[in-house]
Amino acid sequence: MKHQLSEVKCAVLTAASIALCIVLPMAFHAIPNAGNIFLPMHIPVLICGLVCGWRYGLLCGIAGPVLSAVLTGMPPAAVLPGMAAETAVFGVAAGFMMKTVHTKRLFPDLYISLITAILLGKVISGAAKALIFSAGQYSMAAWVSASFITAWPGLLLQLALIPAVVAALEKSKLIPARYPKKSGRFQ
Amino acid sequence: MGQYMPGNSVFHKMRGTTKLICFFWILTAVLLTDSAAGFFLLFLTAGASIALAGIGLRNMGKTIARLKVFFSVIFLMNLFFFSPEQAWWSCWIFHISPAGFEQGAGVVMRVVFLLVFSRILIATTTPVELTGALEILLLPLGVFGISTGELAMILSVAVQFIPILSKEADQIRKAQIARGAKFESGHLRDRAKSVLPVVIPVFLAAFRRADELALAMEARGYRKTKAQRKQCKFRVHVRDVQAVVLSCAVCITQILL
Repeated sequence: MKHQLSEVKCAVLTAASIALCIVLPMAFHAIPNAGNIFLPMHIPVLICGLVCGWRYGLLCGIAGPVLSAVLTGMPPAAVLPGMAAETAVFGVAAGFMMKTVHTKRLFPDLYISLITAILLGKVISGAAKALIFSAGQYSMAAWVSASFITAWPGLLLQLALIPAVVAALEKSKLIPARYPKKSGRFQ
Repeated sequence: MGQYMPGNSVFHKMRGTTKLICFFWILTAVLLTDSAAGFFLLFLTAGASIALAGIGLRNMGKTIARLKVFFSVIFLMNLFFFSPEQAWWSCWIFHISPAGFEQGAGVVMRVVFLLVFSRILIATTTPVELTGALEILLLPLGVFGISTGELAMILSVAVQFIPILSKEADQIRKAQIARGAKFESGHLRDRAKSVLPVVIPVFLAAFRRADELALAMEARGYRKTKAQRKQCKFRVHVRDVQAVVLSCAVCITQILL
């Protein structure tokens, strides 16, 4: 039996994730400077990559911040290219790692994919900002500060929340189980 | 969130595709601006656009005022940390210099102008019109084998999901307030903790709706095909041409200044 999402379902789940890229930051608005600290837009992109694969993760990573910038003005256009590059790498890396890593247990797969995607995203977006988007104005200290010091609550939130959300989605049968339990009767 | 404001202005009558092309030209112009004359040109363009769109200065002021904390942080960071050379005042790692002042003011002004132009685009274009415009502008990607029909479908469904999920998130938030969650008071950690119980239900609700929609689409025979492109009517009015030429002229002038 094939345990995969259909293309139509992947497309619609990606659309829901893109919508969440706009709705979720609005839910965090009660907290000052929440965007930089809790990184709410990264959560749907990573989940989309993990659940739907790298192609849809890439689309969500690019379309999420762009649509949010156009519809809500956040992130501001000056920050947008760097952020879109970061989220695009998140989506691609999460999907690719989830396809590659198979430890036969859901949570190790999720954590390996998630941590690799986050680190890759931070490194590549830092390089893109330093070399392309803010060439000459972006330092190593600024990268460490923005990616890890200011955003540590957001990183913790991602590591705690994303595996829990994916597990909850599997449990509620909204996505197929990665390692379906074999029924004892037919073994 | 920026909302569509019904109206009868020149901008409202313009095609979504034209407005999006103009927006990209202006976006490039704003990012290229680094002189006082350039900022003055942007000021004139923004003023004329606000007047033509009929949005109102108060409305625009509210949009900008919402981000006052962000603007202050960006300005102060640049002012204190940008450059220690020829500093007006120095203390430990903090240096207030003319270059820092110039950099901070420049960044804030660029963001304000981008906010103003994106607000004009959103206030005068319906979400459906915007998606249609994106679909038309994405058509060339078909050459590389990318399914623009699927891409446009995803973007269109995403735009239609936003108000539904927003309402759902609000309902979940109110339910959590009823259970004692404190979103607008208390320590940062408490407020972050109160947001957490909202996130998982919002995801489950969003994916449940997506699941139902996907099921309905599959049941009605929706399949990914190349021939899912809707017919585009390329009727171009004089005002569309004028708008593209003007925005292009602003961009070229910025490069020359």
